[in-house]
Amino acid sequence: MIRRVAGYLWVMRIKQLLPVLMTLVLAACGEPMRGIEIRDAEVAAPFVFTAFDGTRVDIAAEQGKVVLVYFGYTHCPDVCPTTMGDWARARRALGDAAKDVRWIFVSMDPERDTPELALSYARQFDPSFLGVTGTTEEIEALKRAWGIAAYPEGDTRANDYTVAHPANTFVVDRDGKLRYLYEPGVSGEDLAKDLRKLL
Amino acid sequence: MLAACAAERETIPTPPAVPLSVHGAWARAADSGAMTAVYFTLANGGAAADTLMRVQSVDAAAAEMHVSTQHAGMMHMSPVTALPVPATDSVAFRPLGAHVMLTGVNRPLTEGDSVTATLTFVSGATLTVRAGVRKP
Repeated sequence: MIRRVAGYLWVMRIKQLLPVLMTLVLAACGEPMRGIEIRDAEVAAPFVFTAFDGTRVDIAAEQGKVVLVYFGYTHCPDVCPTTMGDWARARRALGDAAKDVRWIFVSMDPERDTPELALSYARQFDPSFLGVTGTTEEIEALKRAWGIAAYPEGDTRANDYTVAHPANTFVVDRDGKLRYLYEPGVSGEDLAKDLRKLL
Repeated sequence: MLAACAAERETIPTPPAVPLSVHGAWARAADSGAMTAVYFTLANGGAAADTLMRVQSVDAAAAEMHVSTQHAGMMHMSPVTALPVPATDSVAFRPLGAHVMLTGVNRPLTEGDSVTATLTFVSGATLTVRAGVRKP
């Protein structure tokens, strides 16, 4: 009888301690990354552009920095500004650590977007953001190299067609490897937490 | 004659109270001539379903209902011609989902400014949305 009561008390104690133990285990493991990790990450494909202000960006030369790339277009009224707004919040949340992060918006709509427009679009979200685009041929080459798609939808003779484009933010780590994809809707604060782990 | 006119006016039925309402409307800042999106929650407190058929705005060259969708890693944006609003329910126009797209805004939209959009429903009801402009 005494043994049974002692066993019961032991089980009760474990149950009471369980939440504490779980918290300790989670704290030890750390919060999981919100991005989709690319297994066997490889060095990012070539990405070389010169922005309208003359800033040259070559991801291969950015090793030591974390690089975020978003493939969108400036006539995009919803997902692109939502993502850029989240980037801006992440940039602010990172504070000084953001000096080791590059934020690059690439317009996949070379028919309507100029390098000047791409840069001014990106900078309205944060002055440190870079916006680039290229000729149709350069954008096609970029799509092939990165294995991504982007194409107009609707009547391209009108000026108000939309462009289907990759949903995710592409994150290149400090070793120049394409490591994570972030779906739209990840908050700036969560993105900043993850970027800190990569810096 | 005047009395007859007055009597006629009195016979005109007053329109039923509109059960539709809009809450939390906002729009993104944009340069003049650019595009922006308007977001809000559209509530139908009435007992009958209705359908949003048309959006218009005096602040832009064109206004359309659009929805963003994600499929196989790609983002698409498609026009919507009719949006049902079920009875005693609400529909959210929010980032990464349904939104009113304004094309060619007729002035720079900066924080603190506002834009208006008029919503027209199958029932004949109309609603004017006044959306405060936020940073992009």
